[in-house]
Amino acid sequence: MIEVTNLRKEFALSRQQRKELSTPSKTAIAVDDVSFTCNPGRIFSLLGPNGAGKTTIMRMLSTIFKPTSGTIKIGGIDVSEDPREARKKIGFLTGSTGLYARLTPNELIQYFADLYGIPKNVCEQRKEKLYTLLDMHEFQGKRIGKLSTGMKQKVSICRTMIHDPEVVVFDEPTSGLDVITAENIIQLIRDCKAEGKTVIFSSHIMGEVDLLCDDIAIIHKGKVLHNGTMSDFRENMQAPNLTAEFIRIVNQTKLENA
Amino acid sequence: MIFTIFKKELKDTLRDKRTLIMMLVIPVAIFPVILSLFVTVSESFTKEAAEKTIQIGVVGEPDNYVLKRLEGLPQELGKKNITVYKDTVELKAAIKVDSAQIGIVPSPHFTANMALKKPAGVTVYYNATDLGMKNRAEAYLETIESIAQQERYLDLKINEEEIRPLKINYSNVASSKEMIGKLAGGFLPYIFIAFGFIGCMYPAIDLFTGEKERGTIETLLTTPVARWQILFGKMGVVVLSGLLASTFALLGLFLSIEVFDIVQNPEILDVIHGILSPTFIVMLFALLFPLTIFFAGMMIPIAVYAKSFKEAQSIITPLNIVVVLPAMVGFFPGIELTAFTACIPIVNIVLATKELIAGTLDFGLLGLSFAVMVSLAVLAVFISYKRFDKETNVVL
Repeated sequence: MIEVTNLRKEFALSRQQRKELSTPSKTAIAVDDVSFTCNPGRIFSLLGPNGAGKTTIMRMLSTIFKPTSGTIKIGGIDVSEDPREARKKIGFLTGSTGLYARLTPNELIQYFADLYGIPKNVCEQRKEKLYTLLDMHEFQGKRIGKLSTGMKQKVSICRTMIHDPEVVVFDEPTSGLDVITAENIIQLIRDCKAEGKTVIFSSHIMGEVDLLCDDIAIIHKGKVLHNGTMSDFRENMQAPNLTAEFIRIVNQTKLENA
Repeated sequence: MIFTIFKKELKDTLRDKRTLIMMLVIPVAIFPVILSLFVTVSESFTKEAAEKTIQIGVVGEPDNYVLKRLEGLPQELGKKNITVYKDTVELKAAIKVDSAQIGIVPSPHFTANMALKKPAGVTVYYNATDLGMKNRAEAYLETIESIAQQERYLDLKINEEEIRPLKINYSNVASSKEMIGKLAGGFLPYIFIAFGFIGCMYPAIDLFTGEKERGTIETLLTTPVARWQILFGKMGVVVLSGLLASTFALLGLFLSIEVFDIVQNPEILDVIHGILSPTFIVMLFALLFPLTIFFAGMMIPIAVYAKSFKEAQSIITPLNIVVVLPAMVGFFPGIELTAFTACIPIVNIVLATKELIAGTLDFGLLGLSFAVMVSLAVLAVFISYKRFDKETNVVL
C-alpha cells in the first residue's frame, strides 16, 4: 500500500534558470500538496502532460528525491524516516532505464539480487521463474549491449521483479517499445495486480490506462486535478473518451488559472 | 554492499576497452618505448659524433705552427680533414655552406709572438647550430696549447711542478645511485603520477557521468544501499585503476630491464634494481595510495556534476595540467624535500620519491608528506560524498 499525504517538492533554481524562466523566485515547485492512496491488488494510474510532476512524484516514491514536505508511506514505512527499508518494498521500472551494457543479463540480475540481500538459493529460484516467464534463457549469458530493445526490456523487468517487491512503480514503461515488448509489460502489470501487489502506472498512452487501471489521478503543474476510481471517472466523463476528457480537464484548469 | 558494488564496477571497468588501453597497455609500453628511444638515440649520437670526419679550414702559410700541430694530432680526438684557405672570408663562406665545420685562423703576429714566447692569438670559427663542433675545436686547440706549453717549459728550462703550487683533487662523495637519483629521479615519479591520474580519469567519468548518461544510476539509487556505500564502492575502483596504471608503468620498467635488456649502463641498472626492490615499491605505493584517492576525490565531484561524458572529459582533461606542472618540479635540480615542500601536494610525492631513489630520504618528511596527502584525500572524499548526496547532481 502507498499513502501519499500533502506531498510537496521544490527545486532550487540557479541564476541561469531564473533568467530563463523570468522569475525572481529562488525555487520552482514541481509537486504541490499532492495526496493519494494506492491499495494492494489495484493499479493506480498517474496521468498528466509533460512537466506535470509525475516523474518527480515517482522519484520521491522510489526515494531518489527527498520530499520538501509531506509524507509517503510504503507498506506502512515512512520513506523519509527509513528510505532503505522502504526501497526493499519497491520495484521501479521506467521506459528510459538504462542497463549495464558490458554485463550479461545473468550478471546484472545477480548484482541487483545481491544489492537487495536476497539469499543465493531464493535468488536462483526467482531467476529461474522469471527467465522462464520472460523467455530469457537463450540470451542470459550474452552481453546486454548486444541485445535487442525487447530483450533489454525483459532484462529490466527481471531486474525490477527479482526482489519480489510489494509495490511496483512503472513510469512510462512502454514508451518507444514495439507492440510485442509493450504487450509483455502490460501482461506483467496485470500479473502484479493478480499477485496482490500495489501498482503505480504512468503513461501517455490512454488506451493502456483505460485497459489496466482501477484508480486514476490527473496531475497538472504539480497539483492533483482529479483523484478517484476509474469507474467513477468514466461515469462522470463530459467528453466522449478518456483522451478527450483528459484534455478537457487540463484545458479547463489552464483557463481557470489564466 | 561496498564490496558487491566494487566487484561489479571492477568487472564492468575491466571490460571497457578504452579504460584498459589507458590503464594497462600504455603504462606497460611507456618505459620500454621511452628507454629504447633514449638508448637508441643517445647511442647513435655518440657513434655518429665519434665516427664523423669533420672538415677543418685553416688560414695561413702551409707551414704555420697550428697547421703542423693539427696534422699531428691523434685520430682518437676525432677524424678530420684539413684544408688551407687563402683568407678568412673564404673560410667563413665555407663554414656557412658546411663544406668546413671548423675554421682556425692564427693572428697576423702569431709566429712572431710564439717566437717571443708571448700569447699568440687564434680565432676559431664554427656554426653553433652544428652541435658538438665547438667542443671538437676546444679539444684540438687545448691539446695544441698543451704541446706548446710543454715546448716553452723545455726552452725556458722550467720544471712544471715548480710553477704549479697547488695540486687539486676533486673527489665526489655522492654515490652514483645518489647522483642518478637526484638528477634523473624526478622522471620516475612524474610518470607514476601522470599514469595514476590518467588511470583514474576514465573509470571516474564512466562510473559516475556514464551511469547518469546511460540512466543506470536511477535504478541503483532505488536499491536498499546507502549512497555513501555506492560512492565508496565506485571510488574503490577509481583508486584501484589509478594504482594499477602506476603499477603497470612499474611493470613496464621491470620488463625493460629484466626482459628486454634495453639499459646496459651498470650504474643506471644498479639504480633501477634498487627501485624494483620490495622496500622501494612498498614506500612508493604508500605515497601513491593517498595521492590516487586525492585524484579520485578531485575527479568524482566533477564527474557527478557533469551531464555528459564529453562535458566531464572537457573539465577533467585540463586538470591534468594542474597535476603535471607540480609533478615537473622533480626535473629541476636543487629543489629538495623540506618541511615546506612536504606540505605541497603532488610536489611532496615527487620530491619524496626522488629522495627515495637517491637513498637520502628523511623519514620525518616522508611522514609529513604522507599526512598531508591523507588529509587531502579525506577532504576530497568528503567533497565527493557531499556532491554525490545532492539529488539534483546525481539524476539527469
